[in-house]
Amino acid sequence: MSNKATLAKAKMLKPQTKQSFTTYIMVIAAFVIMMVLSSTGNVSSQIEGLLVPLCVYSILAVSLNLTVGILGELSLGQAGFMCVGAYASALFSIATNESITVAWIRFPLAILVGGICAAVFGILIGIPVLRLRGDYLAIVTLAFGEIIKNVFAALYVGIDSNGLHIALNQADMNLAEDGTEIIRGALGVKGVPQDSTFVIGFVLLMITLIISYNFINSRTGRAVKAIRDNAIAAESVGLNITKYKLITFALTAFLAGLAGALYSHNYATLQAAKFDYNMSILILVFVVLGGIGNIRGSVIAAIVLTLLPEVLRSINNYRMLIYSIVLIVMMICTSNEKARNLIISVFNWLKDQIIKLKNMIIKPKTKEVK
Amino acid sequence: MALLEVKNLGISFGGLRAVDEFSVSIEKGELYGLIGPNGAGKTTVFNMLTGVYKPSNGVIMLDGQNITGKSTIEINRAGIARTFQNIRLFKAMSVLDNVKVGLHNHYKYSTAEGVFRMPRFFFTEKEMDKKAMELLSVFELDSKADFLASNLPYGDQRKLEIARALATQPKLLLLDEPAAGMNPNETAELMNTIRFVRDNFDMTVLLIEHDMSLVSGICEKLSVLNFGQLLCEGNTFDVLKNPEVITAYLGD
Ligand SMILES: Nc1ncnc2c1ncn2[C@@H]1O[C@H](COP(=O)(O)OP(=O)(O)OP(=O)(O)O)[C@@H](O)[C@H]1O
Ligand SMILES: [Mg+2]
Repeated sequence: MSNKATLAKAKMLKPQTKQSFTTYIMVIAAFVIMMVLSSTGNVSSQIEGLLVPLCVYSILAVSLNLTVGILGELSLGQAGFMCVGAYASALFSIATNESITVAWIRFPLAILVGGICAAVFGILIGIPVLRLRGDYLAIVTLAFGEIIKNVFAALYVGIDSNGLHIALNQADMNLAEDGTEIIRGALGVKGVPQDSTFVIGFVLLMITLIISYNFINSRTGRAVKAIRDNAIAAESVGLNITKYKLITFALTAFLAGLAGALYSHNYATLQAAKFDYNMSILILVFVVLGGIGNIRGSVIAAIVLTLLPEVLRSINNYRMLIYSIVLIVMMICTSNEKARNLIISVFNWLKDQIIKLKNMIIKPKTKEVK
Repeated sequence: MALLEVKNLGISFGGLRAVDEFSVSIEKGELYGLIGPNGAGKTTVFNMLTGVYKPSNGVIMLDGQNITGKSTIEINRAGIARTFQNIRLFKAMSVLDNVKVGLHNHYKYSTAEGVFRMPRFFFTEKEMDKKAMELLSVFELDSKADFLASNLPYGDQRKLEIARALATQPKLLLLDEPAAGMNPNETAELMNTIRFVRDNFDMTVLLIEHDMSLVSGICEKLSVLNFGQLLCEGNTFDVLKNPEVITAYLGD
């Protein structure tokens, strides 16, 4: 019957599946190309140094997009969750450095610890905060991010034969002679094993993508999108709004924690000051310019915008040449109708993103339900 | 005992007594109409029945269970589903997904099972697809299953809202002006569909409507609200002849 035919059609299409696989293939291809380029010595040391951060930022952007694009709530606390993940995993690695000597066992465990600790923070912060709407939520998450950063920046942790010592300044730690300082306030953590590699970053990004896409295209993700599209209707069909908001928020925090772990194990020292609101805003910019709700866009925006300054620096010598090329292209564009339409559609798309962002900030409270 | 038993329901907004002393009793399987001029308080009654507004007084019994003051979610689980006067679809989702959200509480697997694509994910999703397509075909929307909900024509959007409400497997279906914005052909078709739903889903339906052809065509009983007060109730034929009702509608 026609019913069966349409069912078969619905099955065959599955545009979501197509979308996610395109993204996986794209990321794998980019990874392979970079590996080949770097093994043949075609990558500058500056770009080489950016490979892990590229993965970190991509993971952060994808994870924030779950809250901003799929749940439709503006969160500015991404750096805070990253900070928790970075510190928790670093502490784990330092504490187990001697007991687990094999890095490829220790590091995955450290990453997991970072993710779980960040998720716990996400839930603890999410419970009170997710009741707020729009601009209030944005401001409070921003504040929580800053609080987390400042607490870690003020923290002194040391270990000696008597056990763990935690204090808010160096003298109060009362470390014994044999003790070692692990976190030293604003100076941060020293001696984090540099376990992060591009390969691990790539694997983590793939895991993040698979988790995110599977989440979006599941029963839970459907509920989250329904709440985003119309909370009153979602309640009317029996969806528990608080629960699904919290799940999304916790998943975002968990993935940000993974990114934090990858970040902290990429450098010898770890300082809380790195995780300030500029970082949160930067990740939000990736999400907005990549397209709110567009997972693949988040990855592309994170990669392009992180590489751009580096690439621009390296072509600095050809500046005048590039200016003239840009001028010529602009002239062609303004006279050619197709090119003009393309530019207009790009601006319209940008406008759409800004409107989405605005609607997230200014959420009118529905008084009369009709 | 009646399926829905409402006694002395009332609510105020500031100084406005939007609904006062409203009572109604609806038997299982009935097609019941709630009519009245604009601003009479009809939608407000729906909002109280579904827990969107907490009534300041009165009792609501559904199938012998007291649901007064319960949350919208609890009331949906107890068995009331509704549509909205101002259509509230999940606009950025597909037609199929809109119905699958309605199925949410009846077809379950955990978030982890979904994220890690466990067998129960595939099995349950398949069952949901099947059930959702079945519901969509009742409203002749199955061929538009992969459309975005916001791309449907107006009449189809109203039908999709009913399909989504039905997906929650309610005992009582509340329809707020289901024919608003439809042309006479679409309205006639909708009347058939509502009758079909009542007969084939063992449904009890309470509907608000301004379109008198629909009201007189399918409602067996009516209650008339005017300025938040019950003006009269009874068999459709008798109520529509009542001179008080006629003046309330035409104004003096
Ligand atoms: N949340 C609210 N706050 C203040 N006033 C409200 C609220 N909800 C409803 N009202 C008022 O209650 C009265 C009844 O509104 P209601 O929407 O129930 O009317 P209605 O009978 O559904 O009318 P219509 O046929 O136009 O849909 C109106 O005056 C409305 O403005
Ligand atoms: Mg109304």
